[in-house]
Amino acid sequence: MAIRNSAHKQTRKLTWDKAYTRELFRRYRLEGDESARDELVTMYLNLVKYLASRFRNRGEPVDDLVQVGTIGLIKAIDRFDIDRQVEFTTYATPTIVGELKRYFRDKGWAIKVPRRLQELSFKVNQAVDALTQRLQRSPTIAEIGEYLGVTSEEVLEAMETSEAYNFVSLETDRSSDGSDSFSILEYVGKDDALMAVVEDRATLSAAVSKLSPQEQRVLYLRFFEGLTQTEIANQLDISQMQVSRLLRRTLRVLRENIVRE
Amino acid sequence: MASDRITLCVPARGEFAKTVRMTAAALVSRMGMTYDEVDDIRMAAEEAFVYAVDTLSDDAQVCFDFTLTDKEVVIVVPVGEQDLSSDEEAERRAAYATFILESVCDFYEFANDESGAHLRLIKRVGAGDGNQE
Repeated sequence: MAIRNSAHKQTRKLTWDKAYTRELFRRYRLEGDESARDELVTMYLNLVKYLASRFRNRGEPVDDLVQVGTIGLIKAIDRFDIDRQVEFTTYATPTIVGELKRYFRDKGWAIKVPRRLQELSFKVNQAVDALTQRLQRSPTIAEIGEYLGVTSEEVLEAMETSEAYNFVSLETDRSSDGSDSFSILEYVGKDDALMAVVEDRATLSAAVSKLSPQEQRVLYLRFFEGLTQTEIANQLDISQMQVSRLLRRTLRVLRENIVRE
Repeated sequence: MASDRITLCVPARGEFAKTVRMTAAALVSRMGMTYDEVDDIRMAAEEAFVYAVDTLSDDAQVCFDFTLTDKEVVIVVPVGEQDLSSDEEAERRAAYATFILESVCDFYEFANDESGAHLRLIKRVGAGDGNQE
């Protein structure tokens, strides 16, 4: 005989106190207490962090995903019907996951994926939108294939590869939260993600010239000298965290400039 | 009702997550599941796989058992047994895994019977996707 969901029962005594959650919702909704809303956000941030970490192998920095997930959490808090006999976590999880999925669907391309698949993935996304509107429901894989004149296998392949959306997070300590060791690196091999993007050196050099001297220096040390973040930190006399932040910001600026051009 | 049964065994290592996702997606797309439902299955299969990897020994094989009918897919995955009361990290992981499974599956359970501890997931065709929006 199955023991129904023993793990789930454990969640009751985790971080979230059901009665206190309702009390906070009551204060926020009925008394307009904004601090209760803030407290709800803080209380459920761990849930956002976990859900965001589930999308980590799709190549976006987890910090960014947490931000996106937090938007989903706030939406869930604002839309949650306190009269419904549903637990807030049950309502919030799909909303947060939905926000994260949408974020990925809206993202552009950064790492090198075969052009055929890039184009197909783009077309699949477009087809999903068009067919959803036409059919008033999510289309089947076969319908998408028929619409595009490709096989179902090709649609599935496009769904899978469309997750190679972006740069691998430069946080080398990717197992820091200890939950698992998934990383896009395991799928794309050891090719330098940045170099894979940059086929056109002229575009790169134009984009690099827009960076500050310190940003250029960090980029040079990381990708041309091949130093680790810690080594760069020692050389520039700043913390490893600062290097990490600087690199991430620099790469984002670069990416935006390259995409724009 | 006619049903098809498919088994996929992979080593309990992260790099096989893609294989699991793609296999699950390929199987349910044959049943006429929608894009969103297929995406849910990919998440569910990965979540189950991650949970299995976390709880089984490193040299274990993770064997997914898929049963497909016209109406639904049932996925059974053996997982390791954990004493959640003594391990806070494991408890947290299990709790979070359930939130995801709850949001992308129509039914899930952690069961323990003569075949050992396992996770059982059901996704029905046309039951809508897991997202409420």
